[in-house]
Amino acid sequence: MASETQAHHGDQSHSEHGHFGPEMWVIPEASVLVAEVNEKQRMTPGIWRVIFIAGGVLTVLGIVGFVLKALSDGFSDHQAWGFYIAAFAFVFTLTASAPLAACAFRFTKSHWRRPLSRIAEIFSLVSLVNILLFIPALIVLPDIGVMHESGEQLVRRSIWFQELTNPSGWLMAGMIGLSLCSVAILWVAAMPDMAQSRHHVSGFRATLYGKLAGCWYGTKRQWQVQKGGLAILGALYFMMVVFVQFLIVSDFAMAMIPGWKDSILPPFYTVISFQGGLATILLVAYVMRRWGGYRELIGQAPFWAASKVLLGLTLLHTYHLFAFFITYWYGRLEVEQAILNYLMFDSYLGIFWAQLFFTFFIPFPILVSNHARREGWGAPLAAVFIIIGLMLWHIRIFAAAFAAAPAVEGGLYYLPSDAFSFPALLLPPPEATFPGIADIFMILGGVGIVMLVFRIGMMMLPPLSLWEMKEGSMYQRVDTLIRGRYLVLGKPE
Amino acid sequence: MQEGKVLPAAQINRDLLRSILETPQWFWPVVSLLGAIVLAAAITIGIMINTGLGITGLNYKVVWGFFITNFVFWIGISHAGVMLSAILRLAKAEWRRPATRAAEVLTIFSLMTAMIMPIIHTGRPWRILYWAFPYDFARGIWPNIRTPLVWDPSAILTYLTSSTLFVIIALVPDFAVLRDRTTGWPKLVYTLLAMGWEGNPRQWKLQIIAGVLLSALILPVFVSVHSIVSWDFGMAVAIKSWHSTVFAPYFVVGAVHSGVSAVVFAMILLRWAYGWQDYIRHEHIDALGRLLIVVATGWFYFLVMEIIFGIYGLEGDELAVRALQFLPGDYGVAYNVWMIVFVGITYFLPVILWLPKAWRRNLWIMSAACISVNVGMWLERYLLFVPGQANKQFQTFTWNDYLPQWPEALIVGATFAFVSMLMLLFSRVFPLVPLYDIKEGDILRTEIQVGRRTVPATFRED
Repeated sequence: MASETQAHHGDQSHSEHGHFGPEMWVIPEASVLVAEVNEKQRMTPGIWRVIFIAGGVLTVLGIVGFVLKALSDGFSDHQAWGFYIAAFAFVFTLTASAPLAACAFRFTKSHWRRPLSRIAEIFSLVSLVNILLFIPALIVLPDIGVMHESGEQLVRRSIWFQELTNPSGWLMAGMIGLSLCSVAILWVAAMPDMAQSRHHVSGFRATLYGKLAGCWYGTKRQWQVQKGGLAILGALYFMMVVFVQFLIVSDFAMAMIPGWKDSILPPFYTVISFQGGLATILLVAYVMRRWGGYRELIGQAPFWAASKVLLGLTLLHTYHLFAFFITYWYGRLEVEQAILNYLMFDSYLGIFWAQLFFTFFIPFPILVSNHARREGWGAPLAAVFIIIGLMLWHIRIFAAAFAAAPAVEGGLYYLPSDAFSFPALLLPPPEATFPGIADIFMILGGVGIVMLVFRIGMMMLPPLSLWEMKEGSMYQRVDTLIRGRYLVLGKPE
Repeated sequence: MQEGKVLPAAQINRDLLRSILETPQWFWPVVSLLGAIVLAAAITIGIMINTGLGITGLNYKVVWGFFITNFVFWIGISHAGVMLSAILRLAKAEWRRPATRAAEVLTIFSLMTAMIMPIIHTGRPWRILYWAFPYDFARGIWPNIRTPLVWDPSAILTYLTSSTLFVIIALVPDFAVLRDRTTGWPKLVYTLLAMGWEGNPRQWKLQIIAGVLLSALILPVFVSVHSIVSWDFGMAVAIKSWHSTVFAPYFVVGAVHSGVSAVVFAMILLRWAYGWQDYIRHEHIDALGRLLIVVATGWFYFLVMEIIFGIYGLEGDELAVRALQFLPGDYGVAYNVWMIVFVGITYFLPVILWLPKAWRRNLWIMSAACISVNVGMWLERYLLFVPGQANKQFQTFTWNDYLPQWPEALIVGATFAFVSMLMLLFSRVFPLVPLYDIKEGDILRTEIQVGRRTVPATFRED
């Protein structure tokens, strides 16, 4: 059995046994996994240097853009910071949901998840950067209430209702809690691998692994605690990520556009985040497989199976968009028509259609095609389009939201209790804003910092979840059923 | 995960066809009792048509009451079929096998029942022809095709048609088994229904492809049906608390919540009634319980969003409806008490009952939790629709609360009897647990030795 299993890993799954499609990828033998992964981690193919350098350069550009923006506009004019908020939200969207993918697929006991788990969990390190990126966002977020020059206290709509000040404390607490939880997931999940690898590595990594996993001996009790802990942390993380997404999209988008009351936006944002997170994981996995030297360790099965999930999320994205649109469009309320015109049909018409093409019309046929999914390139290609589309989505929603909040004496238009009497939206919607050079630098910086931190994470930690891969190799075998040879998967309780 | 033992095909046939080839003593008395309730409701409907809707509690302000609540409830139950059958089939969840047929059949019967409700609700059922179908009758009055009230019949009829096709495709191999085990006119009927099925490789291949294709094609219909039903309300701007963008996914997830709960309860009943302990096992109920925790939590999230963003607008009219829903006040009906009951029995109680594994495997506890969900989901629809209408609005000079009368209560109660009766009658002529699916599952079952432990395993064809 050992040799047979060995024979079918990676691209060799199409070999002499005709029943082995990409979906029947077999994990390599447990005995060779650790050595292979450690060896591959020591190697640095050109792609990793490119990613490291490109990530560093883009991060520096982002810092330059941030400084330029701060010097030119200061922090008091919230309208100038719309693209920064879009860049932050884009990074947050893609990276906050990534660790959740590891937890969710572990919960559903999906065999194909195993090579993707650690990739997903390493994005937890980006969540630490998210805290830093969030600080300027909180500074530029306008207060909920202001005193108008007439002496009237004006309060804009907010999920914080009667609070008058910017709810920075709660938002930051949510973000820090989320980051800590995701790092805890990474630590607990990587502990067995670090414990095993500490004897194969030297220098900083040996010290790091010793500190973080020195207490791990792999006893039955430790395994039980580790698996139970991951399940609890996963459930906690799921609740926290949904909650923080709700806060961010409500405070930084909906509450900034006068009259926008949209109960589907937080679930929509959550779906987008799941879609973006999975797309990012698949893209990284493809790069690792195609150019990073992990061809034998990351088969086609994860792409084949995850692309179905990505297809489902893509359809859900479009469904939520349609549910929002049809309710507003059919309702014919002036305030809702104004918001539709602003976000979809007038000011941001071009970006809306471009985003729709990138998030649905292009990836949908790719993900529906069995051929594209089977070959392994379909899902990553769709993921690229989806990520570009989601960047446009964030610009359309967050940058537009900050641009739409018109200033009155340095504050926002503040709503009385009856939105329908609000005059601002009965006027033609504001023009779309376009990014300046500093804005472009900040958006690129957002992408760059994700690349940089991920690459550093890959250097620090085993980039594949060794214990899950080994577990997978124990729960599989190739066996005969009637006249065919098939993969047999064990599923313990 | 897999429990129980692999049974010989002959025993599977014998056990699962017992409901058809033998008649339990309780069968006809129970069917008669259910039939009597349905008959009473039919007579009441006759009286209502003859007398007018005045005998119900419906009034000028609250025009959508028990009947429409019940309509949405049964549409919700119908979502179990596709959720369990199509989605789990595509996801290749092994534990789906004994549940699929009952879920699909429940879909059909609950859709039929749901469609009856708005017809009764019109008071003059024949006028449906003018309102819903694009037929002129030489009167120059065409239905407004831009209203969700016209989209509804289109979506529901499409769903009914595709669900029926789905069930028939899955039944063909079982029809053939019945054809070979019956005599006389039943044999003739099963022979016609089996359409020449011999179980050769080509037929199996076509049957599997048809099942997978229908699973994929029926999913958009499944989502669209309850979305469109939600838009019956969500498109209305006049009733505060209804015009909400989240209604479509909120209704769909709620439908799955109530539908899957109903299927679990139906499975427990079938297991008890026909002694199918070897087929509907604790592991299946356990897996469905875990699925329900996820679905219930998703549904609760949408509920919270609906409420938060109802209040978020701080619009006077909407706040008044929310006050009617949540706050104690001098109203005829204490909606706030019902609201607490509804949230408690729809989410908190069942999820607490589903969390411990031992409780998920206790059929009494699972039954109680699933009944609790369905009572709660019925209440949810009622509390979503009625307070918005009952609330006094700007420039409204007459307003009323709603107190359902006996005809509504009887008719709504009878719909449960109607669906139960149809399910029982179906089980009398067709197998409610798919024979071929169970046999396939047994063939694919195997074991893997990991160290000293034997782990249940499955052959993966794709």
